[in-house]
Amino acid sequence: MTAQAKADQSLAEPSRGVAPGRPAPRIERLRIRNLTKRFGDLAALREFDLDVRGGEFISLLGPSGCGKTTALNCIAGLLDPDGGEIELDGTNVVNTPPERRRFGMVFQNYALFPHLSVRRNVAFGLEMQRIPKSEIGERVDRALRLVRLEEHRDKHPAQLSGGQQQRIAIARAVVTEPRLMLMDEPLSNLDGKLRMEMRTEIRRLHQALGLTTIYVTHDQEEALSLSDRVVLMEHGVVRQMGTPREVYHEPASAYAASFLGSRNLLPVRVTGLEGSLARIEAPSGISLTGSLRGELAVGDDAIAAIRPENVMLLASDQGGPNTLTGQVQAVEFLGQGTELSVSCELAENIIVRTTEDTWAYGDQVALRFPEDRLFVFPAEPVEG
Amino acid sequence: MARGMQSTVSTARNARRIAGFSPSRANWMSLAMIAPAVILVLALFIYPLVYGLRLSLDPQTGGGLFANYANFFTDARERATIWNTLRLALPATFINLAIAIPLAYRMRRVVRGRRLITGLFVIPMTLGTVLIAQGMLSFFGPAGWFNKTLEFLRITDDPIRLIYNKTGVIISLTIAEFPVVFLILLGFVSGIDPNLERAAQMLGASGWQRFRRIILPLMIPGIATALALSFVMTFAVFPSAVMLGQPAGETRVIAFAAWQAAYERFDFSAASAIAIIMASIEVLVLAVVLGARSRLYRGPATGGKG
Repeated sequence: MTAQAKADQSLAEPSRGVAPGRPAPRIERLRIRNLTKRFGDLAALREFDLDVRGGEFISLLGPSGCGKTTALNCIAGLLDPDGGEIELDGTNVVNTPPERRRFGMVFQNYALFPHLSVRRNVAFGLEMQRIPKSEIGERVDRALRLVRLEEHRDKHPAQLSGGQQQRIAIARAVVTEPRLMLMDEPLSNLDGKLRMEMRTEIRRLHQALGLTTIYVTHDQEEALSLSDRVVLMEHGVVRQMGTPREVYHEPASAYAASFLGSRNLLPVRVTGLEGSLARIEAPSGISLTGSLRGELAVGDDAIAAIRPENVMLLASDQGGPNTLTGQVQAVEFLGQGTELSVSCELAENIIVRTTEDTWAYGDQVALRFPEDRLFVFPAEPVEG
Repeated sequence: MARGMQSTVSTARNARRIAGFSPSRANWMSLAMIAPAVILVLALFIYPLVYGLRLSLDPQTGGGLFANYANFFTDARERATIWNTLRLALPATFINLAIAIPLAYRMRRVVRGRRLITGLFVIPMTLGTVLIAQGMLSFFGPAGWFNKTLEFLRITDDPIRLIYNKTGVIISLTIAEFPVVFLILLGFVSGIDPNLERAAQMLGASGWQRFRRIILPLMIPGIATALALSFVMTFAVFPSAVMLGQPAGETRVIAFAAWQAAYERFDFSAASAIAIIMASIEVLVLAVVLGARSRLYRGPATGGKG
């Protein structure tokens, strides 16, 4: 790794910081251009571009069918792309078969070899590389220690829990010191608590090993918490790319907003523009002011989006700008907060998240939509 | 407290009784349900076996309880039928496995045309051994297509003899049993999670290594099942050994010896003894194969959930 690249890396994200003992990544740059894959008439992946710095953790995020797994399988070599380049430190690997790419992969269903013990599973990749037996033993032990399963080394996969199996799968991949780590929804077969633990585990391993990682998920929380950068995809196309904070706070489209937690999406019409603000009108005739996101002209159809936690809940007698009265239709207690469904003149069902637990069904309330939190996007079809 | 619990339990029991699911009645019902199957097994399998065993222990020619068995093993010509049969059954079984294992592996994920190809492979099963033997007699005969073609291509001058000898019988058994072996193995290999192969590939395993290290070990239970079934069926070879072989010589199989005892010498007792010997050998081989299988891996063929 050149000094320049090292400087780039440490400058890139000072907030996360580079752990002092973190080993240098094994590659400097992965450069993907125009990667395309069709299945019959379906364009599963269209002109996919991605640049990954060595040591970076990238998430491909999107609903099922968005092309994220297709992209990952093309990078792995398990699928042949119809076109495009995958350049690893300047070498195009598109025509290299997967067994010679030296990438690690973790599968959603773990894909542990059921007939081999944990130790033999982890040793498999090293045996394929014809590494001396003594070294294999040592490296397998180290990998098992890393995922804290050294006492299970002689068991078979079926004797382990789902979380343990996935840790073995990770150990099996990292022990070969892959140039690139690919993870295909590794947590989606685990249940809630375990999932959180494994998420922390993956983050810890990434910090400790500095493996350049591409991680596929449909879970926005996973993507935000693990990644250095998030790639949001839809219908085989990249919709937005940025740090977790960027994509969360500054969604570039109604789609991005809806996928990253803006559960209130309202069809509106633009009635006026003033700098970065847009005057909008709902079908019911109610007018509000929001922040303009994207190209819009007066008279255009648009979508107004706001997160449940950004809607302010006030007593019903309070008025003010961008404030409407409504009635509580449902109350859901969530532990760290309460979620209300409120009907108002703007929509039948505005979801509001609050830390107060004093509201009840039928209460009259006032809702304020802060104009810097109410985003106005060009209209587009948005699926849940 | 304890009283309260007791009353809850008895209420539940009452509810069950009212619903008609008291334990004893359920047991009785399930016994009644399996009765037809039990009777069928008894009538079709256990009764003939016991009858044959008894018959074999009551020699027509006298000489004590085990005279038939003693005669069989002391007569070199009779004893040789075991070896004759093994020399047909084992090669046919192993040839089938050797062809079916790679073929099933190749066909594990072919979507288009898989049904057609499977159908073609399965046709021999519908033909029956007699029809196969008839076909082979004309195809491999001195004036058949096979030798005509070879002569035409000047590969041979004299016709190659693939009938009226051991080779002919082995070929016909191979054709007849292939579908069973192939279908069993296809079932097993299709049940192997395709991600296992992908995982091995990502870890650097070549095509051969993936087959050798992952697929083959996971196919072992299927291979054992196919081997056992194919062996049992080929060991009972009769029509093709008579039609395509030399029933007086190298293909005088054990079933033929039993048939001769029964319908040439009309010694049903001796014939029963030979049949029992035949069954014992089959059971022995089954025990060895299935015993070996249980010592190897026999767990799931998927690598985790889903």
